[in-house]
Amino acid sequence: MSDTTERVQLQIGEPEPGVRKVDPILIADKVRRTFGGVNAVDVAHVEIPRHAITALIGPNGAGKTTFFNLLTGFDKPDAGTWSLDGKSLAGVPAYKVARRGMVRTFQLTKALNLLTVLENMRLGAGHQGGEHFLEALIPALWKKREEYITAQAMELLARFKLDTKADDYAASLSGGQRKLLEMARALMSEPELVMLDEPMAGVNPALTQSLLGHILNLKKEGMTVLFVEHDMHMVQTIADWVIVMAEGKIVAEGYPDVVMRDQAVIDAYLGAHHDTDLGSLTGQLDVAKDIGDTHLAAEIAEEIAEEEATDGKR
Amino acid sequence: MVKALRARPALLRVVLALLAFALAAAVFVFATPSAHAAPNSGGVPTVDTTPAPADSPQSIGIWVRVAADKSNVPNISVKVTGKGVTQTVVTGADGKISVPLAKPGTFTIELDTASLPEGLKVLGDNPREVTVSTGNQGVPGYFLLGTGDSSVVPSATASPGAGGSSDSGSKSSESLADRVLPRIATGLIFGLLIALASIGVSLIYGTTGLNNFAHGELVTFGALTGYVVSGVLDMPGWLGIASALVLGGVFGYVQDLGLWQPLRKKGIGLIPLMIVSIGLSLALRYIFQFIFGPDLLITPNNQTAVLNIGPIHLRGTDISSPIICIVVLLLVAFALLRTRIGKATRAVADNRSLAAATGINVERVIRIVWVAGGALAGLSGALIGYYQPVSWQTGASILLLIFASVTLGGLGTAFGALVGSLVIGLIVDLSQAFGVPSNMKFVAALLVMIIILIFRPQGILGRKDRIG
Amino acid sequence: MDWNFIPLAFGQIVSPLTIGYALAALGLAVHFGFTGLLNFGQAGFMAVGGYFFAITTVKFDWPLWSSLIACVVGAVLFALLLGIPTLRLRADYLSIVTIAAAEIVRYTVKTPAISKFTGGSDGINGAGRDFYAMNPIPEGQYGFGVLTYNNNQLWSIIVGWAVVLIAALLVWQLMRSPWGRVIKGIREDEDAVRSLGKNVTWYKMQSLILGGVLAALGTVLIIIPTSLQPDNYGTQTTFFLYTIVLLGGATTVFGPILGSIIFWIVLNLADGVLSILVLNHLVPITSIQQGPIRFIIVGIALMILVIFRPQGILGKKREAQFSE
Repeated sequence: MSDTTERVQLQIGEPEPGVRKVDPILIADKVRRTFGGVNAVDVAHVEIPRHAITALIGPNGAGKTTFFNLLTGFDKPDAGTWSLDGKSLAGVPAYKVARRGMVRTFQLTKALNLLTVLENMRLGAGHQGGEHFLEALIPALWKKREEYITAQAMELLARFKLDTKADDYAASLSGGQRKLLEMARALMSEPELVMLDEPMAGVNPALTQSLLGHILNLKKEGMTVLFVEHDMHMVQTIADWVIVMAEGKIVAEGYPDVVMRDQAVIDAYLGAHHDTDLGSLTGQLDVAKDIGDTHLAAEIAEEIAEEEATDGKR
Repeated sequence: MVKALRARPALLRVVLALLAFALAAAVFVFATPSAHAAPNSGGVPTVDTTPAPADSPQSIGIWVRVAADKSNVPNISVKVTGKGVTQTVVTGADGKISVPLAKPGTFTIELDTASLPEGLKVLGDNPREVTVSTGNQGVPGYFLLGTGDSSVVPSATASPGAGGSSDSGSKSSESLADRVLPRIATGLIFGLLIALASIGVSLIYGTTGLNNFAHGELVTFGALTGYVVSGVLDMPGWLGIASALVLGGVFGYVQDLGLWQPLRKKGIGLIPLMIVSIGLSLALRYIFQFIFGPDLLITPNNQTAVLNIGPIHLRGTDISSPIICIVVLLLVAFALLRTRIGKATRAVADNRSLAAATGINVERVIRIVWVAGGALAGLSGALIGYYQPVSWQTGASILLLIFASVTLGGLGTAFGALVGSLVIGLIVDLSQAFGVPSNMKFVAALLVMIIILIFRPQGILGRKDRIG
Repeated sequence: MDWNFIPLAFGQIVSPLTIGYALAALGLAVHFGFTGLLNFGQAGFMAVGGYFFAITTVKFDWPLWSSLIACVVGAVLFALLLGIPTLRLRADYLSIVTIAAAEIVRYTVKTPAISKFTGGSDGINGAGRDFYAMNPIPEGQYGFGVLTYNNNQLWSIIVGWAVVLIAALLVWQLMRSPWGRVIKGIREDEDAVRSLGKNVTWYKMQSLILGGVLAALGTVLIIIPTSLQPDNYGTQTTFFLYTIVLLGGATTVFGPILGSIIFWIVLNLADGVLSILVLNHLVPITSIQQGPIRFIIVGIALMILVIFRPQGILGKKREAQFSE
């Protein structure tokens, strides 16, 4: 929403990296993660506003997905604490984080292909007695709950326009439909905070509008959304708040239209990386794990060129 | 010559490889009668070169006791003759010694009365006959001694032969150095032998992602080649070793050409690929048994100690084997670090798609890795033949140790495989000096591997993987 | 020519090996086919179950039910011992550790020092004492032609197959329940299932325990009519089990059972044919050379199966996409 007059005040004071929020749902402090000497994530302080849609943007390699992984328990930080609704999540394993109400989706969609769409959805629901070993042996004990979550699933699927596909295997869906499935599945547990990792990646343009609509719906239903994205138009369209990361740190925070014009943001995207391989910037190539690999590859390329030169001379 | 081959059609290379392999197969089949006698020329393994437990399908259990109080009598020398083989063994602190036998049959056991303590003599027949059927372990060969002085004082005798390692665990009045130093020597030698095979496994894993369960059979192939060339065909030992090296490389080439590359092209997953290697391992193992029989085979070797350093007794081959290993390992290290193909190999092992993107011919690198891996494994097998008797399952019995070494050192790193192999080799041999019974020596190594994996899953030299 | 080998081969349907391997293969299917665990130590579970049962029955004189409980407890302990450190390791590490663990068990039970309990290399006989004591079938011969069994053998067969069928039903019910849904999700993508709030490591442990207990019980059914020999539980047994599981269909409940039946029938048929050929000098191989041929067949069969028909007989092709 770029209508500045109607804007809800989300922060306390001037927008700047680490600014406190009026009603934060998630607060993180001094979170650090290093890989082989490089600071992948080094966030001093950040607060995510409740009931708002926050966008986490930044160039490739800025540490956004790593930060996601740390917050949701899929990776261990070297240092740092964070809490959801005031309850600490540091050191909590990924599955418990999800149960506390903070669910996430993945950059590479993880729709479970060998399960049907409906089974995928049912898997997303919590509090299933039938998932316990002994109870599972006696269908009478879990039949009712199964009916309930099936009804809940069909409702969600209808909303995401996937209800006709309920009994198809997830493998038969298109890429965009699988993204929708992953999102719908994440909602089965009625979470508080939904973290979407690049929800637009790989989705054909026709589907982006409906996807945006779904994300706005999440806010309407009282959830908070944090998503990672590259697509600036999308960010402009639906984000209430923007956090910019670069080289592991938060370099800017604020309302979308303001942040887009911030010099630090522009630098982060364009100025600082002349010498990095263009392929790694645009994400076309696997980023070399460390400097040694790039040197090795360059060495070999040089030698091959030499050899071919001498062969050519013969 | 390589460049010349490059200009010719690939077909010629395939034909050459198949011819070489057919030649090797022919040598095996025609040079090996199905009922063969183990050659005696190299002398007989003493208790010091006892094969790994899994290799001896039958054995006699010698037990010498005093009849009156049934106390055990150590350090008694007993000679076991039969089936063209003579073994002299010495009882351990518990009065027992196990004599593994390559073949079943009727054997004569004779207690050497010269080794009896004063005042004791053998009750009953001496010598006696003992019949051992196939697969029977511990067939009783018991001696009872006439009542006399019951306080038998065990004398400290360091047993002769390679490394001075005693299988029965007699440790009464040997000094710590006597026990430990020879085992450090044999452990390092064993570790070097494993290292040759482990590096192949590590490189294959690094470049193709395959856990090659059939690698043990590459080792067995080399061991059997060495046996055939220098044992059956009676050629000099170095020729046997060289043949194992060359033919091992050919075997590796043929495997990649005929099986692994087509499967890679087919896009088969890594887990099915691993299961294929398991099936191949089973099939090869029993093809070897089909051709060579279930017995232990002895590569002719001079058993006399050539060099004695304190309690360490080294035969000629105990000196030349590690030297060969070290030279070869240095060559491999040089190749990996300095040559173009070596760097390409490391690049492919590190990041296959990045390597391909920089123009490296990944398939060619993989082919070379298979040839090198096969050659190294073949060499390892041939050298093992000078360390212990070999059979159809020589490689299979150490496969687990190879995997342990590679895992311990760090999956995918060649130098990790070397480090891991030395550690495993030392543990296997040293553990026996500290009370671990000989049939548990592999267990010690495996336990160490498991424990280290728990605390450091990437191994000693490996790198931690990043999630997501 | 003695053609008896043909009905005898088909008689393998009721042999202790078929029954026991069917259970162990079912357990392995739970591990590998359903959960995606690369357990290469199933022979170790068999050995642990067998030894706990045999030692308590024969050496300690425990009654049948107590020995059975001991057998199950042993399998559970082994699963915990294996699982706690390794379930968070990558799949290929798990395979190496499980093989190593199984071999450690085999080497350990052969140690002369404890052979008073374990019987050393000779193993343990007579574990079926109490079991036969409760045999209600009257003495006599039952069956027809070459396939006749005495009352004890018949009792073993009936109980054995009953256990297999009950186990199959249990596993089938589990896999169509929400518990099974989580397991199937784990096979495909652990992180996805974690992100949905399921304790993936604990589920993998449960699967490991279930499959291990099945293998342990299968071994009991083998050793009662025959005997417990440690060298029967080496790595080639695990490889046989994989062949059986893949043959029948790794992702199905009845596949492993069918696989076990076909496996043993075919092996016995092949053995029989070879024997005739060798005895009548129709092929230039000796009788000693006949032994390895069955293993060569198994090895080649395993390769062909996994390359050309990884889903086995009963499985569906799409489910045989074993994840990496």
